[in-house]
Amino acid sequence: MSALGHYLEEDGIATVAIALIRPQAENTRPPRALWVPFELGRPFGPPSDVAFQKRVLLSALGMLVEGGGPTRIIDFPDDDPRAQPDLTWKPPFVSAAVGGGDVEALAVGLRAEVLSLQDAHQRWMARHGRSTVGLSGLSIAACAQYVADWLTGKAPPSPRDGFSAPLILRFAVDDLKAYCLEAAGETGEPSSRQLGDWLWNQTATGEALHALRQLLLAHADERLRLIVANFMVPGARLRTG
Amino acid sequence: MTRLTDLAPDQAKRLAELECPDFETRPWVTGPVLSERRVAIVSSAGLVVRGADPFRGRDPDYRAIPSTVAAGDLLCSHISINFDRTGFQEDWNVVFPLDRLNELASEGTIGSVAATHYSFMGATDPIQMEPYARELAGRLKADSVDAVVLSPV
Repeated sequence: MSALGHYLEEDGIATVAIALIRPQAENTRPPRALWVPFELGRPFGPPSDVAFQKRVLLSALGMLVEGGGPTRIIDFPDDDPRAQPDLTWKPPFVSAAVGGGDVEALAVGLRAEVLSLQDAHQRWMARHGRSTVGLSGLSIAACAQYVADWLTGKAPPSPRDGFSAPLILRFAVDDLKAYCLEAAGETGEPSSRQLGDWLWNQTATGEALHALRQLLLAHADERLRLIVANFMVPGARLRTG
Repeated sequence: MTRLTDLAPDQAKRLAELECPDFETRPWVTGPVLSERRVAIVSSAGLVVRGADPFRGRDPDYRAIPSTVAAGDLLCSHISINFDRTGFQEDWNVVFPLDRLNELASEGTIGSVAATHYSFMGATDPIQMEPYARELAGRLKADSVDAVVLSPV
């Protein structure tokens, strides 16, 4: 981000960067950077908090008309209030069949769970007016089926022209995660950690993705191994041992 | 979150020590007051309009996002899974503050909002992005943009 700022500024356009990793901004020395003490993925802070987001944006924009260059980094003072857990939040359900099953059972559990979350996801859509599911171009049931087929050793071909099977698998997994997390956030204001704890520890989907990763790490296709190793289960959620 | 001390030690170390380009110049472009600026968002979140070609890996180019895009039609195809997406899922302004910019324009705090915004894929080597960034500068100027907010994830 800081490098992009440098290029654009060299070509005559004033920039201000939000910086989530302060050492990176310090090393790249962009013209202007506002460091924010927020979680990675949240450059403007808490979702659904217009006033807070506006303060962040105005702090950044203000740097465009202030002096102090040619390299200036300032710190935003306030933490993201939505980083705190919502102790009243409850996930839509707790799957009874998580853990310990064979791949066939995990595949069945995955497909059933996606179906069971439909109503919660509809309520999410009604509440927030949007969904970020859609990278794969497949329906969510088809995403679950595609992942289940990989899990049970069928190595299905890509259902979409121009997209390799490993790429569609990655996007189908992205869509499944987005769908589950959106459904789980249909009520309350859960923190990302609460949602992640639920997805990766308490759902059939999370269990299936842990198992799929483990299974495909031994696959002959190097690209597939690379994708499942790095782009399926977040590093902080990997199981060791 | 996210001070580096909040991250897993290996991730914090990798992010803090990520190799960054060493620029020789120190450009510093000034301009008119905010109320006369035309502002664009340039994101590195791998954002893509639903139906457009998503980022497939560490692609060095960018995607255009028209100001008329609906909130339900903006997806995140960033290759990294090690950042929060639930904030963006709930409210696109967490990453792409278009509603906030439109409000500031309506209030007269900024002059106007660009017709088009852009996204790169932030995990790409910045050196490979340079020709596309130079091309983008031309497109921004053609839209009379004189202020860019760079939004990472």
